[in-house]
Amino acid sequence: MLIQILNGVVYGALLYLLAVGLVLIFGLREVVNFAHGALFMVGAYLGFSVAAAGYWWGALVVSVVAMAAIGCLLDAAVFRTLRKQDPMVTVLVTFGLLLILETLVTAIWGKAYLRYPTPTILSGTVTIAGSPFPLYRLFVIAVSIAVAISLSAWLRFTRVGLYVRAASTDPRVASIQGINVDRLSLIVVGLGTALAGLSGVVAGPLLTLSPTMGSYILIDSFIVVVIGGLGSFTGAFVAALLIGQIHNFGAIYLPWAATILPFLLMVAILIWRPTGLAGSRA
Amino acid sequence: MSTLAQGTIVVRPRRIGATTATLLAGAVALAVGFALPLLLPSKIAMSLFAQALFDALLATSVGFLFLQNGRISFGQAAFSGLGGYAFGILVARGLVGSEIALLIALLLPTLVAFLLGLVIARVSGVAHAMLTLAVGQAFYEVAFRWRELAKGDDGMSFDLPRRIFGLSSRGLQDPAFMVVLAWCLLVVVLVGLALFARSRIGMVTAAIRDNEERARFLGYSTTLPRALVYALAAFIAAIAGILQASYNGYIAPQMFHWTVSGYALIMAILGGAKFIIGPAVGAVVLFYVKELAGQVAEYWPAIVGGALVLVTLTMPQGIIGILRLLWLRRPPQ
Amino acid sequence: MSEPALEGFALTRRFGGFVALDGVNIALKRGEIRGLIGPNGAGKSTLIDVLTGRAKNRRGRVVLNGEDVSELSPQQRRKRGMARSFQRTNIFPELTVEQQLRVASWAVADADIAEVMNELNLTALAARPAGDISYGDQRRLDLALALVGRPQVLLLDEPAAGLTMDESLALARTLRDLVNRWNVTVLLVEHDMQVVFTICDRLTVLHLGRFLSEGSCAEIRADPTVVAAYLGTQA
Repeated sequence: MLIQILNGVVYGALLYLLAVGLVLIFGLREVVNFAHGALFMVGAYLGFSVAAAGYWWGALVVSVVAMAAIGCLLDAAVFRTLRKQDPMVTVLVTFGLLLILETLVTAIWGKAYLRYPTPTILSGTVTIAGSPFPLYRLFVIAVSIAVAISLSAWLRFTRVGLYVRAASTDPRVASIQGINVDRLSLIVVGLGTALAGLSGVVAGPLLTLSPTMGSYILIDSFIVVVIGGLGSFTGAFVAALLIGQIHNFGAIYLPWAATILPFLLMVAILIWRPTGLAGSRA
Repeated sequence: MSTLAQGTIVVRPRRIGATTATLLAGAVALAVGFALPLLLPSKIAMSLFAQALFDALLATSVGFLFLQNGRISFGQAAFSGLGGYAFGILVARGLVGSEIALLIALLLPTLVAFLLGLVIARVSGVAHAMLTLAVGQAFYEVAFRWRELAKGDDGMSFDLPRRIFGLSSRGLQDPAFMVVLAWCLLVVVLVGLALFARSRIGMVTAAIRDNEERARFLGYSTTLPRALVYALAAFIAAIAGILQASYNGYIAPQMFHWTVSGYALIMAILGGAKFIIGPAVGAVVLFYVKELAGQVAEYWPAIVGGALVLVTLTMPQGIIGILRLLWLRRPPQ
Repeated sequence: MSEPALEGFALTRRFGGFVALDGVNIALKRGEIRGLIGPNGAGKSTLIDVLTGRAKNRRGRVVLNGEDVSELSPQQRRKRGMARSFQRTNIFPELTVEQQLRVASWAVADADIAEVMNELNLTALAARPAGDISYGDQRRLDLALALVGRPQVLLLDEPAAGLTMDESLALARTLRDLVNRWNVTVLLVEHDMQVVFTICDRLTVLHLGRFLSEGSCAEIRADPTVVAAYLGTQA
């Protein structure tokens, strides 16, 4: 039973990393990045190439850095240019990017499923409540918790973190007060996409790599951010855990409920708060 | 007496003219439809065009939702899939007569969309995009797992009922017949939408789309008209799904997939979603570009994605919009 | 017929900690044209919002023709004869002028729109999309949308906002003629005192969300508390 719950937490951990990225990007640019799932996938594939060459930990670093760079590019080229237009324009553009990225991945790595190696250190199992539990899965949970704590600390205790919180609440007032929102966005969006990449690399050994892996997790992460409130990190944390559990238990006991329930929750939240994604913003 | 009195307004005659013009254009288009088997060179060409028309119907559904409700849906395939599945399953199980099966297959998605519309009437923009994406995928996942319903991800073949409305149903799988049927249905749908746009309910929904708040202050309840538009859009999507299921004699969860919805949306934007015929034009254009792309079709999603980015940023009015612009700017004869 | 056309009792509205409106009472006699004035931030637009059902989180009662409409939506209030115009132009940019006036008229039993179009000089613009016409024309359209169907009670939020002196005066005179002819009860928020004195019979003055004074135009002009309020906020 505990094992089952932990398995749910693992998926929740992956979702959390993605959701945080979405919340960060939305907080500063007021757009929902439809390409986020594709970035998750690109992170995973990049990591795969490096890991397959023997550098598992290097893969982590390369992927995260590369995705951060892509994020900065995305912010400068797309989010900043389109910030005066209707958010739906950005949604459509990022949707187009999603398709482009999926094709790119297929072109470079092919359509076949790929197996991502697990590092030897983390290959073993641990006994929890009498049953074996893969060490790697604990690692995933640990990574997620580490990110959650660091993020919390960063937002609360550093100056940049303060600026991010200010700009997320009201970008206009923040820029009037002298915060360079564009430069901040570069950092924040880069961080958001880096987290997507991290989630992808970390998810690698758990899931098989395929060009459609991004789309599936994207929708779950959308559900997480809507339920958690698009402005809220704590909300994302709680919602990610919730969806992780539903996903896991549902897969075993009630496949139906697993499919329908998250969506029903999402609809319910959007009805209750039809402006939908306000989160902490009025 | 008022200091700003002006002359009177003359309007009525112009409006009747427009309706007649639309009906005439529709009649001509129908006539062309019947000539299609003669105009198209081979059975394969007819088959291809029929499939392009299925796409055109779904794209029209997406475009209509945007035109009359101002809402962008990433999950319209939910309704075409629902229509196809309802028809396929009812026919395969022989539960009801073929005509009733058709009726249910048309009305079920319409009703579901209406109820959904009531509930999400207040949700717009990005939230709406995320929600519709999730709805579409929810249907996909359910169809994927529910093996007892229609064999899950294997998909299910079914035989068409022998007769439908007294006619032999073999025609539904004959390329010549289907291309004419699909074309005629598309024409009827487009004419219907044009008439709708000019009707009272059409104008009221357009007003609600433009400025929902002011519409309320004029005395309108805005939820019901919006739900009606969702229902109508779903009806059109259902037609597409039923035609496709019938033609192939096969239903599969792929019909609900977000890529189907996404591509339909892109077709609508490419053609020009603000125009009633825009989405259909976009669909046919995209379909044939893909056919002609040949080897490049390997990278089709990227091409479509790139097209979306390009159109969204540089020509949001779409193909029809551009054509219209060129027509308006033509040198005086 | 001696009951007031529109009454508001103890109307209060808060935005978080800020009190925009604090226990304001108001009563309009049938056919009266009341001006609602006060320095900036007095709560005038808020009062209109509360009376017309645009504001949530409000307290107090609104009574229209003797019926308590406090819980009714804006659309329900319109059906009962209360219409309003907006300070920030609130029209339908993609519909033509005529199309939106028709939409307005269908909601009120297919009322005539020709007269309103004539009176507000919109006839020549009938076929133009509302997003394409000038600001002044849009203001008049915003007003016209409220006038279609001859509402019994009309609440106007700065109809002359952004108009030139001549435009404002012309609008004021047209408005006065129309409402007198139709016996409409009017509550008019305006900053432009020329418009106010051209149209209004009586004035209600708000200050910092509270009722300050009420009386005829002459009385208010001479009221020292009103003068002080205006002078005080010009510091």
